[in-house]
Amino acid sequence: MNAALTGVGDCILASDLLAEPRPDHFSALRLDAEQYLQHQDLPTPKDEDWKYDDLRALKATTFHPGTAAAVDIKERILPEARGTRLVFVNGHLDPHHSCTSALPQGVRLLNLAAASEAVPQLGSLMAPADSDFFAKLNTARFQDGVFIFIPKNLKVATPLHLLFMSQAADGATISQPRIIVVLERGAAVELIEEYAGTGTYLTNTVVEIFLAEDAELRHERVQRESPQAFHISNLRAQVQRGARYHSRTISFGAAFSRQTPQVSILGEGADVILDGLALLNGDQVADTHSVLDHTQPHCTSHQLHKAIVDDGGRAIFNGRIFVRRGAHGTDARQQSRNLLLSEKARVDTKPQLEIDTDDVKCAHGAAVGALDPEELFYLQSRGLNDQAARNLLTYGFAADLLAHIPVASLRRQLRQAVMARTNSTDLAAELGELA
Amino acid sequence: MNTALSSVTSQEYKYGFVTDIESDSVAAGLSEDVIRFISAKKGEPEWLLEFRLKAYRHWLTMAEPAWANVHYTQPDFQKIVYYSAPKRKEAKYASLDEVDPELLRTFEKLGVPMNEQAALAGVAVDVVFDSVSVATTYKAKLAEVGIIFCSFSEAVREHPELVKQYLGSVVPTADNFYAALNSAVFTDGSFVFIPKGVACPMDLSTYFRINNKDSGQFERTLIVAEAGASVSYLEGCTAPQFNTNQLHAAVVELVALDDASIKYSTVQNWYAGDKDGVGGIYNFVTKRGLCKGRNSKISWTQVETGSAITWKYPSCILLGENSIGEFYSVALTNHKQQADTGTKMIHIGRNTKSTIISKGISAGGSSNSYRGLVRVLPKAEGARNFSQCDSMLIGQLSSANTYPYIEVQNRSAKVEHEATTSKIGEEQLFYFQQRGIPMEDAISMIINGFCKDVFRELPMEFAVEATKLLSLKLEGSVG
Repeated sequence: MNAALTGVGDCILASDLLAEPRPDHFSALRLDAEQYLQHQDLPTPKDEDWKYDDLRALKATTFHPGTAAAVDIKERILPEARGTRLVFVNGHLDPHHSCTSALPQGVRLLNLAAASEAVPQLGSLMAPADSDFFAKLNTARFQDGVFIFIPKNLKVATPLHLLFMSQAADGATISQPRIIVVLERGAAVELIEEYAGTGTYLTNTVVEIFLAEDAELRHERVQRESPQAFHISNLRAQVQRGARYHSRTISFGAAFSRQTPQVSILGEGADVILDGLALLNGDQVADTHSVLDHTQPHCTSHQLHKAIVDDGGRAIFNGRIFVRRGAHGTDARQQSRNLLLSEKARVDTKPQLEIDTDDVKCAHGAAVGALDPEELFYLQSRGLNDQAARNLLTYGFAADLLAHIPVASLRRQLRQAVMARTNSTDLAAELGELA
Repeated sequence: MNTALSSVTSQEYKYGFVTDIESDSVAAGLSEDVIRFISAKKGEPEWLLEFRLKAYRHWLTMAEPAWANVHYTQPDFQKIVYYSAPKRKEAKYASLDEVDPELLRTFEKLGVPMNEQAALAGVAVDVVFDSVSVATTYKAKLAEVGIIFCSFSEAVREHPELVKQYLGSVVPTADNFYAALNSAVFTDGSFVFIPKGVACPMDLSTYFRINNKDSGQFERTLIVAEAGASVSYLEGCTAPQFNTNQLHAAVVELVALDDASIKYSTVQNWYAGDKDGVGGIYNFVTKRGLCKGRNSKISWTQVETGSAITWKYPSCILLGENSIGEFYSVALTNHKQQADTGTKMIHIGRNTKSTIISKGISAGGSSNSYRGLVRVLPKAEGARNFSQCDSMLIGQLSSANTYPYIEVQNRSAKVEHEATTSKIGEEQLFYFQQRGIPMEDAISMIINGFCKDVFRELPMEFAVEATKLLSLKLEGSVG
């Protein structure tokens, strides 16, 4: 893994990776992905799914595989997850910062390299994935990752914390973690998946989630990559009867980020929440392309996606909800709300409903606009100056998505980060919002 | 939907008769020669032939669009008859008396007022049969106030400078696959010119009919409203019942200058094919209005009930400051019909406003998609859009899809989109029935309530027709 990778388009040809020894059960999958990539170039705006994305900067960058490096994770530590944490640096497990001493019996929280020995069926868990370029790239090239397994009926009280740090000192680096989460029937856990780093690098992650009947996963996803980074995330979740998958993705970082969560509801009575918040400034671009697939009766899904766009930032949302034939009694709601703070800010949003059965409740909405002048006036009439009023309203727009984060330390961290972004730290503190 | 809400056979297509009139057609197929033939047949000037050939040459390089949510066999463009005109002795009828009586009977059956009764209806009518305009009423009266309302061919002969100025100015020849095809082979259509400051004293109406089995209909409509002018224009369409698919690829261009307003209403009832999806019209239409002047307004109202496949996005380019675009649509699909329809609102000028109200009703095994674009460009300070797209599903095999594209590049813009989905419930129907209201009436009332926001935008007589049409189309799908 020493060869320089010229752009992602070229890195698929890096033959040294093919020579690398891999566990057998991954081989077929990897080869298949590799072969796919041989004939495929990076997506362009001509592909409908990439219509609003510009990957030229990504293509022009030369990425090297990262090596282990010393990082400081002090600010990232969550006291609630002190003994249930895995830390990866530049794609490699960092045993020094990782700690799994507090794992309850039966729970597995392993890095994939270790798990592939312990869990022979791991390969069969992995979906062949779809034709998403970056998902294929990850399948072909992931170096390490995480395997999480919660046995039947075990409700895990402590949150699990996955921290992926990237540190690119000389030249851009690439890391491609793979995360596989399996919850057996009736199991429950809270998972925090966090990305951060410094320098120019690409994180190309794939998360696969399997929730058996009545399992419950609360999934907090925090993307605070460096301002020069590229972050691409594909998530595939299968949700069985009565299971709950509640996720929230907060994106602050990266020059370009793209989230592609796809959730398939495969059993009756399942419940899915897929919320998101993107805060953009500078020339940041954040794209969310989600799919919620209702294939079974009486399931609910809620999606609230918010974007706050300042400077020359650009937010893209493309949310598809499918209600398949026979999925009667479905209740699906989707909202895309976007706040534009500057002259050059830009929002492209496309909430979509595709409904093939009649007995359903489906609604979606989208709104794009600036701060409401009446709300500004109201705050000003209470003695706030124009700027303070703007900041507070902007913070308020974001805050309702943070209010229900169950891990107190994370909630506080994210609130502070949003306050810093909206310059409302002092004011909010004064108003007692810090709790 | 349970058994209580099924059965009852479907209403036959009421306009499915064929009129036996000798027609003057060119052999099927498309080539530069055919285009030259059409152009020569119509005695067109050189520039128009050039316009056609340029479009044709570009069309040859284009691919049929595949992004719409409709599935069909691509038409064989070499099997279509591109020119079919009712045979006539002279180039133009002097009065209605000279029109083939068979043709007049056809329009009587359709309920199109072409004789003196039209005076009572107060509507000026231009009738396009297959490809050629056969009669225009009230021309003289309109001419008194300077309004030009005539067939497209006549406009080319009588007012070439106006046609040349505006033709292709809103929908360029290379705009899309079907617009390019239309630009190459269009045979006739309507032309309306409302001069400065004139409010058109009556509604103008065009009735389109496809009669020949193998013919395609490629009409072209161009409406220009000069500064301060206003007009309300109605368009109706039917076709006989054939078990093959026919292509209808029209282009409509509207231009509104300062303070002008154009209201364009359509009731589209092309033959939709039978209940198994055999036959029916492919309705691939490009309609676009340019709000060129300040304070101009273009309003589209459509009731789409026919056609096997509908691919249609009446759009507004809001260029002039304070201009307004509106789109009110009811699209109903039943049996195997597929509709992918919606609008585009392109906000370019300051303080431009647009409203989109779309009601989709899908019954049987049909598929109904709303596809819309609201784009606010960086200079469109203060732009405002409100969109509402509601779907109603009738039966478990129908589909309703919503694909709204929203692209905002100006902070001061305010764009809102809402969509909901509902169904006609057994409970609602039960409530009506226990009050003594028969099933069919109950459905009709529910549908009318659902579509009310759109129907009230329609001119009176169209609203009545649309209401009847919807209940007719839905007979047998519920109850």
